[in-house]
Amino acid sequence: MGDEGETMTNNVSENSEPTANQDELILAQQRQIEKEISDNIPLVGELDSVISLNKEYSTDDIYLEKIKDLASKYSYVRRTRPDGNCFFRAFSYAILEKLLCDKDSFIKFYKIAENSKNVLVELGFQQFTVEDFYDTYMEVLKRLKDIENIGEAKKELHNVFNDQGYSDYMVVYLRLLTSAQLQKEHDFYSCFIEGDRTVADFCHQEVEPMYKESDHIHIMAACSALNTGVRVLYMDRGTGNNVTKHDLPEGCSPTVHLLYRPGHYDILYP
Amino acid sequence: MTERSPSKRRLHRELLSLIKEPPPGVSLDAEQIEQNLFLWTIHLEGAERTLYEGESFQLQFKFSDNYPFDSPEVIFTGEHIPIHPHVYSNGHICLSILTDDWSPALSVQSVCLSIVSMLSSCKEKQRPPDNAFYVKTCNKNPKKTKWWYHDDSV
Repeated sequence: MGDEGETMTNNVSENSEPTANQDELILAQQRQIEKEISDNIPLVGELDSVISLNKEYSTDDIYLEKIKDLASKYSYVRRTRPDGNCFFRAFSYAILEKLLCDKDSFIKFYKIAENSKNVLVELGFQQFTVEDFYDTYMEVLKRLKDIENIGEAKKELHNVFNDQGYSDYMVVYLRLLTSAQLQKEHDFYSCFIEGDRTVADFCHQEVEPMYKESDHIHIMAACSALNTGVRVLYMDRGTGNNVTKHDLPEGCSPTVHLLYRPGHYDILYP
Repeated sequence: MTERSPSKRRLHRELLSLIKEPPPGVSLDAEQIEQNLFLWTIHLEGAERTLYEGESFQLQFKFSDNYPFDSPEVIFTGEHIPIHPHVYSNGHICLSILTDDWSPALSVQSVCLSIVSMLSSCKEKQRPPDNAFYVKTCNKNPKKTKWWYHDDSV
């Protein structure tokens, strides 16, 4: 016992010496947490009932009340992996899933997507980095467009979004389109950015890098880039028994419904 | 589908673009890179009318097979490491786009341009204040350092 105590003390004093590398320990722990999340939660999950959310909050009355309210408006939820990309992943999955049931709108969407590369290059994005993501994005859209049977197409969408290689390419491209939208309309968006960052700085630091979480401003720009509207249902520990809804842009008729819990987005279905 | 992995395909594209239109002061040995696409050595000339005019440096880029989702590991190598407040004497560089602000839409070219501009805007050649401590304690891989980006003006 005495020996053990002594070893412990030695360890402590060793750790407080400047030779110990705390950065590495912190980063290693961060990697470990990320690995646990990616091992256990698919990029985009299967449909689950809204009531299944109860399991996550079995002792939290505020959340349980709000889930009850949510369940009166929506039946299903599709969870996404909480990796900082959840808004972009959920949003593009949900839009495409909707479009698969409406061929005409899909074709329109496809045409706009085809021209989007030029917009990005005109804004100063490097041609070949844009092309890298554009090519994969269009490959996925084309593959989905060519499947006649809606059920088959939905299955393919689900597979593509759970294949990290493709899924992350879709996320990057939507991040780039969102950044482009912000920069195109920088006068409008600059008033939403705190501090003295320019819209371009904000895009380079908070929109274009992977894993950076999304805020109102990302959602507004993404909606505007894809010419669509989204309804976000906010569920947190704030007062009241109801979830609050926000339509972005205001007054739109939303095509996509998302559930927001602090730091995370999932997809909702009626 | 192509036989090349996405990271190889992307690196190859970048290589072709750099050979075709190298940014001013940037050059590379394409044949050597073709041997190993995941390890590049790039030659950098200090820009004219800056503190580094007439000096030349070598940058080493290491890529993982998850590039461009993972940022490249970039350090100065060789005999001559620039003396700069954001460059440690072991070649490590404190530059946010190499870790926190990396985006898959960036490239070898944009990293080179950022480093050239970082050197060019320097007003006084000096090592980072914590150089001795950092060089003694850091990992060989600069990406294993949790950098604090506190001063963009240099």
